[in-house]
Amino acid sequence: MRASGLVKRFGDRRAVDGVDVELEAGECLAVLGPNGAGKSTLLRMLATLLRPDAGRLAVCGHALPERAGRARAEIGYLGHDPLVYLDLTARQNLELYADLYGLPDARRRIDDALDRVGLLARSFDLVRTFSRGMAQRLGLARALLHEPRLLLLDEPYAGLDAAGAHLLDAVLADASRDRGVVIVTHEVERGVALAGRLLVLRAGRTVLSEPTGTVDGSAFRARYEELVA
Amino acid sequence: MIAAARPAWGRQLRALLLKDLRLELRTRDTAVAMVLFAVLAMLIFQFAFGNRGDDLTPYAGGILWATLSLTAVLGVGRSWVPEREQGVLDGILSAPVPRLVLMASKTGAIYAYLLAVEIVAVPLVAIFFVRGSVAGDLGLIALTCLLANLGIAILGSLYACLALFARARELLLPVLFLPSLLPVVIAAAGAVNAVAGGTNDLSEYRGYSLFLAVYAVIFGLVAYATYDHVFDD
Repeated sequence: MRASGLVKRFGDRRAVDGVDVELEAGECLAVLGPNGAGKSTLLRMLATLLRPDAGRLAVCGHALPERAGRARAEIGYLGHDPLVYLDLTARQNLELYADLYGLPDARRRIDDALDRVGLLARSFDLVRTFSRGMAQRLGLARALLHEPRLLLLDEPYAGLDAAGAHLLDAVLADASRDRGVVIVTHEVERGVALAGRLLVLRAGRTVLSEPTGTVDGSAFRARYEELVA
Repeated sequence: MIAAARPAWGRQLRALLLKDLRLELRTRDTAVAMVLFAVLAMLIFQFAFGNRGDDLTPYAGGILWATLSLTAVLGVGRSWVPEREQGVLDGILSAPVPRLVLMASKTGAIYAYLLAVEIVAVPLVAIFFVRGSVAGDLGLIALTCLLANLGIAILGSLYACLALFARARELLLPVLFLPSLLPVVIAAAGAVNAVAGGTNDLSEYRGYSLFLAVYAVIFGLVAYATYDHVFDD
């Protein structure tokens, strides 16, 4: 994924202002920043949900917005919400997305995806009966169902209990081995632990973009507080 | 990882339509409200006009299609409610689904809801407002419904998609949608009156039916020409 000089305006305000991002397969990028820094807007542009006002963006070799349809097939996106219908069962939701992505052998893939997030036993239950954490796990299964080359996650740990967070850690560690992962998070320590690179935004602008290297999460927090102050 | 193939439109359309109908069967939020609204509107017309014993047969088509057009506003207004209220819109929009398929799926759902309403509304109109039997004309009235629904559903889904990201969508939708429906209401009422209104004029019926078909084709082309811009942020 390559993005250079991305700009997104809402009225007079520049929510994202000249941000550059590069990500290779097998890399994990954590996007950090305070509320209103432009993290979610950046992620929504990468997910083809928002059209940049300026800058260049290409996902998996597809220039956006011209080839957004092609790029979407390569992207798995999980937003603040799990993006599943509450009045369908977990399985029906995944069947819908399997059809939208044109997946072959959908039944086996759905079973595998539900098993991976620990929801196979609840697959015939309505999502409405799920806890927030279970719905979020189903959202993760949905985002991974088509085995995307680029995984975009916006606050994926929101609403997860300790067991759910542990499961997400494991799924992400597995997923980021052969695909690009971008995680937007407020959790600085977790972001540093998970990602190979950090991007810190403030007021829509990049204030830090560097590999995590051997940086310790709690040690980085003090620097982060200075950067976003 | 899966090699990115272009998913088949037919499979996507069927899945989206099935999803809408499944949600409706489970929640009964839209079609039931539309049927109830249509029945109440018929009752209001009956109390307003029918208590003097006048023959309202020449107005039956008008009453039917005035009711159906207002009912359609309800269905169109609710067509994206599950996606908006349950926060699923980003999931659907980030999937590799051509916007035309999204619009077509909503057209199909609105069409199905209108059919459900007509199954109740047409007999009610016959009972309340038509003197004599319309049993022999039911086939032609059904054909009018099928043709008119097409135009209403295409136009409705186009406006519903346009209003999707608008702030005052509840206000915007009827203000845009109802005036655009006037030609359908006039032609469909004319077609019903031509066969059930006592005149039994088949050439007039054919003319109105042709107009309804042309209207559906024109708005189908408008939807095709604009669909990609309708979903722009």
